[in-house]
Amino acid sequence: MARDSLSDAGLHFDELNKLRILDPDVAQQTNELKEECRDFVDKIGHFQKVVGGLIELVDELAKETENEKMKAIGARNLLKSIAKQREAQQQQLYALIAEKKMQLERYRIEYEALCKVEAEQNEFIDQFNLQK
Amino acid sequence: MHLKTSILKEAKHKEFVSCVGWTSADELYSCSDDHQILKWNLLTNETTVVVKLSDDTYPIDLHWFPKNVGNRKQAQAEMFVLTSSDGKFHLISKLGRLEKSVEAHSGAVLAGRWNYDGTALVTVGEDGHVKIWSKSGMLRSTLAQNGSPVYSVAWGPDSEKVLYPLGKQLIIKPLQPSSKVLQWKAHDGIILSVDWNSVNDLILSAGEDCIYKIWDRNGRNLYNSASHEYPITSVSWAPDGELFAVGSFHTLRLCDKTGWSYALEKPNTGSIFSIAWSVDGTQIAGACGNGHVIFAHIVEQHWEWKNFEVTLTKRRAMQVRNVINDAVDLLEFRERVIKASLNYGHLVVCTSLQCYVFSTKNWNTPLIFNLKEGTVSLILQCERHFLLVDGGSFWLYSYEGRLISSPKVPGIRTDILNEQSVSLSNDTIAIKDKADEKSIYLFDALSGKALGDGKPLTHEKEILEIALDQGGPSNERKIAFFDKNQDLYICPVRNFGREQKSIQIGASVHALAWNDTFNMLCGLQEYRVLIWYYPNVVYVDKDLLPKTILEKEGSEFSKSPQIVSFVGNRVTIRRSDGSLIHTNVSPYPAILHGYISSSKWDDAVRLCSSVKEQTMWSCLAAMAIGSKELTTAQAAYAAIGNLDKVQYINSIKDLPSKESRLANIQLLSGSVQEAVLLQAGLIYQAIQLNIDSYNWDRALELAVKHKTHVDTVLAYRQKYLDNFNKKETNKRFLQYAEGVKVDWEKINAKIEMELLKERERASAGSTGATMRNSISTNP
Repeated sequence: MARDSLSDAGLHFDELNKLRILDPDVAQQTNELKEECRDFVDKIGHFQKVVGGLIELVDELAKETENEKMKAIGARNLLKSIAKQREAQQQQLYALIAEKKMQLERYRIEYEALCKVEAEQNEFIDQFNLQK
Repeated sequence: MHLKTSILKEAKHKEFVSCVGWTSADELYSCSDDHQILKWNLLTNETTVVVKLSDDTYPIDLHWFPKNVGNRKQAQAEMFVLTSSDGKFHLISKLGRLEKSVEAHSGAVLAGRWNYDGTALVTVGEDGHVKIWSKSGMLRSTLAQNGSPVYSVAWGPDSEKVLYPLGKQLIIKPLQPSSKVLQWKAHDGIILSVDWNSVNDLILSAGEDCIYKIWDRNGRNLYNSASHEYPITSVSWAPDGELFAVGSFHTLRLCDKTGWSYALEKPNTGSIFSIAWSVDGTQIAGACGNGHVIFAHIVEQHWEWKNFEVTLTKRRAMQVRNVINDAVDLLEFRERVIKASLNYGHLVVCTSLQCYVFSTKNWNTPLIFNLKEGTVSLILQCERHFLLVDGGSFWLYSYEGRLISSPKVPGIRTDILNEQSVSLSNDTIAIKDKADEKSIYLFDALSGKALGDGKPLTHEKEILEIALDQGGPSNERKIAFFDKNQDLYICPVRNFGREQKSIQIGASVHALAWNDTFNMLCGLQEYRVLIWYYPNVVYVDKDLLPKTILEKEGSEFSKSPQIVSFVGNRVTIRRSDGSLIHTNVSPYPAILHGYISSSKWDDAVRLCSSVKEQTMWSCLAAMAIGSKELTTAQAAYAAIGNLDKVQYINSIKDLPSKESRLANIQLLSGSVQEAVLLQAGLIYQAIQLNIDSYNWDRALELAVKHKTHVDTVLAYRQKYLDNFNKKETNKRFLQYAEGVKVDWEKINAKIEMELLKERERASAGSTGATMRNSISTNP
């Protein structure tokens, strides 16, 4: 009875018979809640860290991807231009070849003329020998 | 021939280079859109900034003031004209000081050129105007006004005409306002560059149709190149007119004056906007679109003579190869080789300071002497000496290096002489001046004095090419030349006292050369080679001329071939596509010439009878008559079936005196030479000579003058008229016939007496003279 009246007055006794103004059960639950809350905050903090790391990583990856992409585009362009360069070089070489061919043709004509001269001279020598 | 190009790793200009110009053989100025004018010293490989122009001046064209103005010579050019995009041209000194800026055109001034004597400047601009300025930059006249830009301009060789392109057209406009303008469509695209050479008088043009073309001064097309990949941005003639350079995108080409290409280079230059030849013509510089200046040396020039091949391997080194034993000699020089010539067993090499003379027998010890001026533009060789055209003078040296003479031609421009306008033989020098193309100056080689009365040999048409014969005695020296109509003439040059008469021996000839030892002449026609075995024949017996010509025809000779050499029995020809063609002529005429020059007539006859060729006999006949060798002539004429001449020679042989024989031989050659007879006092014979050639007036004149044989002349005249049933109409004969009675008996007796007298006179020398058997006494 006495306890009830105390509790009505907002006073309670705990197991150690100390006077409390809060209900020991409630106090305990509150403490538990507090503990749990701390745990929760810790976990959330951890989670945030993990997610932050992840984002960073993904960002880095994105940057790297972007770099690689640029590189690839550059390489592709270079490839294209090399093809063009080669074409130009080829054209130049063709021009040089054409030039050499013309020179060859000139030499060929000269050679033919010289062959003709040789034949004429041989014929002349033969005739000369016959006459003797 | 090749181009050895050099280009720096880093461009010296920050923007594209627009123009280049040489001051000497080793110094170049270049201008660029970065407003800088750079000086390139090729000896030290240094590049210095001469001046930085203001930021709104974009240079377009540069041209140095000509070096030799009048007779005053300067070692280097002192001033240049620079045209710019703001419509001005600037006169700038060598040190970079801006002497004067002149507002010239609205829009950019696209080109500016000094004339050859530095008295005038022509500029062309985007506004289509062509303007002539004085040396100090005062406007003289506006030569033309057109609706579209004029991209390039060039002076004619005589500085009297200006060539400029207008769109696809080329226009030659004389400075004289009333003279005729020549204009023709030259290209299928806009023409970007033109050049006109003063030595060979040829015009180069090139443009956006990617083709370069060569024209003569009348606008006749001589060569069209194949199409290039890119528009041709620049063309430029070498100073001596033997070569030209062509610039395009990544392309530099070296071509022969006939158009075919010696070498092609594909340097990394961008478009070459301007090409300039160094003063000595050994290298070129190009203004490149990527800020570079490209330099290119001409190497691997080639000379051949008999069994020797000489190649310029480097700027200062030559390689000599003896083809027979493959022996190779290397020749080194202290300075750059400017000109060289190999002929008659000697190699003559001129550098900028010295002249080296090598003998083909000994390549190790050349003879070296210092040059007077060191700007040799032409070397000509003959058997005994060689001629250098150095600066403004001619120097004749022996192969021992002794200065023989230095002929002087007043007022001649020596820098435009070439092998076609100067000719040398052992005793004579012939020079054709561009200023008066109808005359040839002749000099004695040994004394350097003008021949005869000092007057030049003149011809009625412009002469294009001259050549002196090389063999034979000096008093029979002849010159062969062809004129504007391509008619070939020969003319004796040492015919003192007598009138010099040139005789035509061929037509449509466009190149000629004498044999190096004997007087055989080679001429080229289209697709044809002609050899005159004995051109002198026209002075002896003109009828024989066609029989002494060898004609070789063939498509292999191409349309307009050029003669390279006629050495021994070998003619070397360069076709229009640049290939060399060798062709042999029979060795017999040369042997015959050899016999004749040493008077071995029997051997000559034996040679001809073993060869059995009409040509040979004809040559022999002419040679024998020329040397008054009657027996040989008789045999030769008999062999070619000219019986009338055999008979006449027979009659000449019977003549009692030397003088009559001489006169009659001359008559056979087609010229009446009574002077010989008159000199010897053989009046009757002279009269008879004129009667024989039906030269009645002269016969009568002689008879009257010497008061003898008037009746003889009248008698023959009467007989002649009777034969044709005609009456005397000649007043003089009628007049003299009145007082003289014709009595044949008396006349015959008189003739007999004259002949007897002549025989007596000649009895000391002549043996067994018989009765005269002249054609005229038995008509």
